[in-house]
Amino acid sequence: MESQSVIICRCEEVDLKQLLETAERFSCSSRELKLRSRAGMGYCGGRTCRLLVDSIVQQLTDTQTSNEIPLKHQPPVRPVTFQNLGGGLS
Amino acid sequence: MTDVLIVGAGPAGLSAAISCAERGLQVQVIDEFMRPGGRLLGQLYQETDGSWWNGIEEAAKLQDKAASLGVVLKLGISVIDLNQSEDGWIVYTSTGILKAPALLLATGAAETACPIPGWTLPGVMSIGAAQVMTNVHRVRVGMRGVIVGINVLSMAIAHELELAGIKIAAMMLPAKNMINKDVGDPRKVMQSIVRLGHLAPSPLLRLGSGLMRYSSLQSLGLHLYPKRGFKVWGIPVQLRKAAVEIEGIEKVESVRVANISPEGDIVPSTSRSLPVDFVCMAGGLYPLAELAAVAGCPFRYVPELGGHVPLHNARMETPLAGLFVAGNITGIESAKIAAAQGSIAGLSIAAFHQVSGTEEDLLESIQNLRITREKASIQFHPQVADGRRRLESMFSENFS
Amino acid sequence: MKYGRVTYHPVLGTLDKRESLRFLFDDQEFEAYKGETIAAALLANGVRTLRRHEETGTPRGIYCNIGHCFECRVTIDGITGQRACLTVLKDGMNIRSGEMLPTPLKKGAH
Repeated sequence: MESQSVIICRCEEVDLKQLLETAERFSCSSRELKLRSRAGMGYCGGRTCRLLVDSIVQQLTDTQTSNEIPLKHQPPVRPVTFQNLGGGLS
Repeated sequence: MTDVLIVGAGPAGLSAAISCAERGLQVQVIDEFMRPGGRLLGQLYQETDGSWWNGIEEAAKLQDKAASLGVVLKLGISVIDLNQSEDGWIVYTSTGILKAPALLLATGAAETACPIPGWTLPGVMSIGAAQVMTNVHRVRVGMRGVIVGINVLSMAIAHELELAGIKIAAMMLPAKNMINKDVGDPRKVMQSIVRLGHLAPSPLLRLGSGLMRYSSLQSLGLHLYPKRGFKVWGIPVQLRKAAVEIEGIEKVESVRVANISPEGDIVPSTSRSLPVDFVCMAGGLYPLAELAAVAGCPFRYVPELGGHVPLHNARMETPLAGLFVAGNITGIESAKIAAAQGSIAGLSIAAFHQVSGTEEDLLESIQNLRITREKASIQFHPQVADGRRRLESMFSENFS
Repeated sequence: MKYGRVTYHPVLGTLDKRESLRFLFDDQEFEAYKGETIAAALLANGVRTLRRHEETGTPRGIYCNIGHCFECRVTIDGITGQRACLTVLKDGMNIRSGEMLPTPLKKGAH
């Protein structure tokens, strides 16, 4: 299907087809789908595609949305340079 | 010594800063953007009485008031991480570490993507991006474009682009697929835009405030929907057309548009290319709550508020000591509601710092917010008040 | 094509005269006005492509324009990963677009 070529994660260029195939093959949770496909692991930290990845998993597993955020937020919420990580941050 | 650190200089953050400073607290506000005002800055629309709501002027009023009260405002600073210590909150930013006993997260909303093939091409931007580029930076986003996604926000911004002399060839839906199942469904979109009521200057949409509330008539309306769409502020609003793909090699050249059934399915052999030089994607807004999540705040899923929101009560307190929230991080509503929430949060923070005589004002401000919400002419979600009540009862069940 | 600025606006009014400045983007000199962001000034000059995807080389421009998506990241005076949409121009700034990077490990290794 042509529409499955649509990119979901812009940062890592992961398309819907890759996500669907991975999710079906490994019956993934959101977190597992992220780790296997890299969707949501790019520069923006998943701010653009997080809800889309969650929605795909939810529809495939036919589950209700939980109260806790399916794809956990991890610091840093903005990219940090090695200099700052190394204590360069005053 | 800072008594309260506020992340986000939008209507909520600035109103909170004012309300804290009025009660003698030392306030510091930080924001990533180079100007204070948040999403307020781009807003420009006519009120029911005909006067203009000018977001830039509203932001300037808040900024001036905050400055006159001694609020410290630092711009161009990004928060990277935060955690709680015995003395309060430690916030790691792009320019250093900040500490305060009370922390208000007023980080607003982010846009929900509604992807279609080609949406990574230069010239494709979110609807909010076009608003900021046009009204805040005063740069043209293109000569002629298409808006993909029809909702309260995109209708308002379409008008703003036209005001700035930028031609909108049409507004249409994104082709329905697994991820665009609601924003690509004409029936659901119809239900959401009929709430625009008086703001929809077309007979079909204006009926929305009355007859069109009945779903059978909405369905009839979709079946009778004219091929060319209805013109709203001169812009064809096409509920029966979908953007299938954005075409171009180095940048946007055209949008492939097809007719769709009232259910949103593509009608075969109806697609054609519409030449444009920019495309705005409008999938709606969701609360941007990543800092609350990193702080360890519990969340609740409340669809009426736009998704997952940090658990909080009517006083804008979270279950974590000294952590407060206000504005769109708590649910998608208008800037006026965000500002009213900010004032409440400010009073709550003053109460947290044991400033005397705040309790009565706090209760009054909570009551005022409820009235403002009831009177609001546009709501992003019709059941927002129900969502708020449910969230407040979930808070009291767990944390009181 | 230069898209230019919204100089006249029926409600927001006419843009005031602003001090101009110059900057370099991929070695080409551009003119902008004081207070403008890199993304705004480049768009006004008709430049939409700010970088290429590191692996696939596809062109990218601004997407969210408020710092959320990082699609507009460029190198400013040697510092990589800076958001063009949030960075206010300074006279003489030297900006480079992001380029496709070699990915030897991806080819055949996996």
